[in-house]
Amino acid sequence: MPASTSEKPVSVSRFQEKGFRFLGLTFQDVIRYFFGGNASLAIVALLLICVFLIREAWLFFPTHRHDLAIFRQTGVEYVDLMLQEGIAHKEAYTLLNQAYLAELNEPSQSVAAILLAHQQVALEVSKANQRTVDDWKKADDAGKVALRTRWVEGAEKALDQNETWNVEVARFEWTGDLRQKMRQAVLEEGPGGDEKSPFIAELEERKAQIFAETSERLKPFNAIKLAFRNAGRPLDALTDELAKIAKENRELASTFSSAPERKEALLEGAAMETDPVIKARKVAEAEAIVMVAPDYASLTRPFYDSVPKHDAVNTALRSDLAGILATFPEPGTLQTELGRKNLRLAHKSTEQLLGKLKLAAADVKAWRHDAKVGFGAAVTSFFFGKRWITNSSWQDFYGVLPLFSGSLIIALIAMVVAVPFSIASAIYVNQLASFKEQSFVKPTIEFIGAIPSVVLGFFGIMVLGTTLRDVSQLEWLSWVPGFPMQERLTMLNAGLLLAFMAIPTIFTLAEDAINNVPHAFTESSFALGATKLQTVFRVILPTALSGIIAAILLGFGRIIGETMVVLLVAGNKIQIPDFNAGLGVIAQPAHTMTGIIAQELGEVERGSLHWRALFMVGMVLFVISLIINYIAQWVVKRFHKV
Amino acid sequence: MKVLMNETDPNQTEAGSQVNSEANNAGPRSVIDVEQVSFAYDGKKEVLRDVSMKIRERQVTAFIGPSGCGKTTLLRCFNRMNDLIPTAALTKGRIRILESDIYAREVDPIELRKCVGMVFQKYNPFPKSIYENVAYGLRIAGVQKKSVLDETVESSLRHAGLWEEVKDRLDSSGLGLSGGQQQRLCIARTIAVKPEIILMDEPCSALDPISTTRIEELITQLKKDFTIVIVTHSMQQATRVSDRTAFFYLGNLIEMDDTTKIFTSPAERQTEDYISGKFG
Ligand SMILES: Nc1ncnc2c1ncn2[C@@H]1O[C@H](COP(=O)(O)OP(=O)(O)OP(=O)(O)O)[C@@H](O)[C@H]1O
Ligand SMILES: [Mg+2]
Repeated sequence: MPASTSEKPVSVSRFQEKGFRFLGLTFQDVIRYFFGGNASLAIVALLLICVFLIREAWLFFPTHRHDLAIFRQTGVEYVDLMLQEGIAHKEAYTLLNQAYLAELNEPSQSVAAILLAHQQVALEVSKANQRTVDDWKKADDAGKVALRTRWVEGAEKALDQNETWNVEVARFEWTGDLRQKMRQAVLEEGPGGDEKSPFIAELEERKAQIFAETSERLKPFNAIKLAFRNAGRPLDALTDELAKIAKENRELASTFSSAPERKEALLEGAAMETDPVIKARKVAEAEAIVMVAPDYASLTRPFYDSVPKHDAVNTALRSDLAGILATFPEPGTLQTELGRKNLRLAHKSTEQLLGKLKLAAADVKAWRHDAKVGFGAAVTSFFFGKRWITNSSWQDFYGVLPLFSGSLIIALIAMVVAVPFSIASAIYVNQLASFKEQSFVKPTIEFIGAIPSVVLGFFGIMVLGTTLRDVSQLEWLSWVPGFPMQERLTMLNAGLLLAFMAIPTIFTLAEDAINNVPHAFTESSFALGATKLQTVFRVILPTALSGIIAAILLGFGRIIGETMVVLLVAGNKIQIPDFNAGLGVIAQPAHTMTGIIAQELGEVERGSLHWRALFMVGMVLFVISLIINYIAQWVVKRFHKV
Repeated sequence: MKVLMNETDPNQTEAGSQVNSEANNAGPRSVIDVEQVSFAYDGKKEVLRDVSMKIRERQVTAFIGPSGCGKTTLLRCFNRMNDLIPTAALTKGRIRILESDIYAREVDPIELRKCVGMVFQKYNPFPKSIYENVAYGLRIAGVQKKSVLDETVESSLRHAGLWEEVKDRLDSSGLGLSGGQQQRLCIARTIAVKPEIILMDEPCSALDPISTTRIEELITQLKKDFTIVIVTHSMQQATRVSDRTAFFYLGNLIEMDDTTKIFTSPAERQTEDYISGKFG
């Protein structure tokens, strides 16, 4: 009904609309468009984000492919194969070495602990008498005598105070006798702490003696360990030699690929130059830049020539290691838990190393500098690449697996903790709690969602990390996988905090789902003689199941995208967790997809390969969230039909 | 009903024998004795006042009366469904079912409800298969043997006149049935636990006339095995299915008598007004 000013209506209908029109719109229309506009704005924003992400990320693959092509042509890839052999060898060696060191240090540990305690006490005493000690250091011989008396007084006073003795007592017991002796030792050492007391001297001697005895006893083990290490020498030497050539080749390649750019820059500069002399020089310089592609075939000649040598080195290494592996001590003969654990790991990892070396030998033989790098290689090396290495002097790698596995394991830990907890709370609050408890518990849990994640991260660093590590050292908890933990910042720590963050989401949605179960079902269940618990588990939960699954999925989506906590608490070590540790992987540090973006995006050059790689990681996250949300909606729809 | 036996109640035997002697005199035994019951939802405002009645075994008793007069409330006192409302309670009087005081402290409402089943106004099968709906009561009672379950499911569905219609799709969802079938499924579910008494709160009010007729026929059938109390707003339904009728008004039981008597020559003026449609 357009505004009818020209033709007047014949008669005013009794059904004529009330109110006025503005630009042909009724008030109802205006309201409708206003709300519709808001909704579409949200959709437009989402589309914009998608477009932005895709635009920044899509160039990653071609650029990456180019990078990989240089990696191959210059032969860096060839040397990298050997480098990986060396790294795998060193990893196995580290485990073996740790087993050895644990054994070596253990026997003298208790004496060492007493010595450490003595140092701490002496430090406390000297702190308490700082002034006297300072004066004493400056004073002449005469003054020293007087100051010493003053110091003894002060030191005795300090030694009488309990705080001074507040040292870590893990490896020995504070007997009165020991305390008395240590007190005397501190006094004997004087203000400078350099006059050896006989007690301490004796302890030190004992420590050295035990240490000597132990090294004597462990000599065979040490020999095995050293043989293991030295077996890798020829490989390292060969790798070093070839790496130099590879680096030179790459230098040439990058000079070549940047040549047009440099030439253009010089010519541009020349065009703007007014001084003819400088102008001529710049033009000449530009002309001098040759744009001939390096001859990769001859550049990589040394690598092809080295194949037989590598083969010999590799075969020798394998047979050496296999021989050494057979002489490894039985884990049972070691005295420390840590030693046994590391020895077992070393054993396993050496076996894996032998397999890897064999594969590497074949790879090295098959390597060709002119094999084509396909687009698929650029894609797989991102999605299935096991290395994320940036700003390296050797070669950058952009494989998302280490980040993805970190994110996933942390999220799984969080779910394992959060799901039972939130669903049990939802059942309790909705079905079993009294009205009073309900009105307390519900807002409290929902309040957790209001805690800023940076605060939680802070808590994770300052409190939870230390507490977890300390608790993990307890003897009776050593059966827990991953315990005792060496690190404070671990996936376990991050996972626990994320669980805490997921709880309000899962709880609220699950509670809604339970609440939406029609009362009629509950009532008829009771009328059939069911107890409260039977009703909950046989009627309410099955009916609410789709809603609960959706709640879990959305909780998962919430934590896989969480950034601050993982950045602060997960330990930020970029590596695929070592699954040799079984469930104990949770005690390892890791980096995450969200964390890496937050950490690196600010520092990379806009438009570089690294920058685009980060956008690709963002894309992966975005797609994961999209899929999770989609599945959650599908679950709800699918099961709601019944 | 062993569980309800209340041996510590000294009045029990006396009262019991009283009822028995009366029952012997006046035909069928009485299974529900309501003795001067008052009831309030909030502890103060009584919605039932001083109601006394006896409900006889293997008969259909109909509750009629205008909306809000307390029919549902009294019905739900019989299986203690009102317990689900925290403040609701009898303020006075006593209800005895099969001679046990059902509000005595030792009584477990769970056991009571296994003996006093209920069919609701709006049919409400669980979102489970037809089979699982009927087997539910047995499963929660701990029955696991497949043969027992199968047998009971079949006999209950037959009893509820539903077997022929659903025997080929026992595993499909109970919510896929028509309204009348769903209500009969609910009845089957109720009789599967073999209660003594079945309470029905306007079981046909959400159904079409044909389904209503089927349920009414069913009620007449079930009367042979169960004592039935039915709340209804339909005078015709009351005359068709019930043996005795109780008329409530504003929380009071005005009159209770044989159905034919109530509808032909009621003793009270209010009853007459109501059944002749003067109010309500
Ligand atoms: N859950 C409740 N809490 C408080 N008051 C209630 C509750 N249920 C019912 N009442 C009140 O108790 C009185 C009796 O209700 P009741 O449901 O027993 O009536 P009715 O006879 O079944 O009515 P109708 O024929 O409409 O079903 C009404 O005044 C009603 O408002
Ligand atoms: Mg009612």
